[in-house]
Amino acid sequence: MFGLNLIPPMVRTALAMLIVGGLMGYAGTAFTTTLVADSGILGGGGESNDAHKYMMALLKREADSLSQLRPAADVVSRALDQQNASQQAQDVKPLSVTYLGGSSSGRLSVHIYAVEIQAGSGQYQFFPLALTIVGGKVVRVE
Amino acid sequence: MNNVRAALILATFLGGLVAGVAIYAVTDKGTDANPYATLPRSAEPAVTADVARALSTDDARGLANQLDMEVLQQLHSAIEPLTDIRSMKFVGAVEKNGRTLAAYVAGGRTSDGTDVLVGFVLRVTGDQIVGVN
Repeated sequence: MFGLNLIPPMVRTALAMLIVGGLMGYAGTAFTTTLVADSGILGGGGESNDAHKYMMALLKREADSLSQLRPAADVVSRALDQQNASQQAQDVKPLSVTYLGGSSSGRLSVHIYAVEIQAGSGQYQFFPLALTIVGGKVVRVE
Repeated sequence: MNNVRAALILATFLGGLVAGVAIYAVTDKGTDANPYATLPRSAEPAVTADVARALSTDDARGLANQLDMEVLQQLHSAIEPLTDIRSMKFVGAVEKNGRTLAAYVAGGRTSDGTDVLVGFVLRVTGDQIVGVN
């Protein structure tokens, strides 16, 4: 089949081993890096992808992305979120977003950012935001 | 001949394994890039380090001496629902226009014995803690 019989058995075996090894290396690395990042085995000091996505959605006022990163909520709560996002001042300009650091314990992690914004009225604000994430969902924002 | 063949098979498998790891390392994008500017990190302010130490050593007298009542109440709200602090980690600080934000993560237990982590940020102006978030 597919002319594989034309390839010498030794080469066939070597190719098969190369492919199996490659797949195992790729999948094993993906699994290990995800496990280490999520469990905080190595301290979890790096920025979480979920925290980063949440911050970007928050600053861009993407209500749909925010609701995907929060725990499941009823339809009225989601509608309120949509209204809040649309009623926020549209001319707020983020000047900087700095990831200060975080810590993890099991499925729970905390990630802290410093944000600078400039409102249309010229008002400047420099404030922190701490995100608490459980199992990939942002459960607390302060 | 069999030994040579076994060694060759093992070598190709290991070669594939290494190539798989390398391909993942090259193709993994990790976290998307931050489209906004970032501020340079600053060192942990001494005044916030003292507060963190007092919190982690359960030193209520030290906290009372270092913070006024308004800031203490903000700190109380910020660390809720923690009632028993067992670890304190300084995670980073940034400074802008004379205002410093020093971030900490406290670990411990709630009143019902649940292990939790709580993040809070001490706001510093002129070597004085002026607020807690």
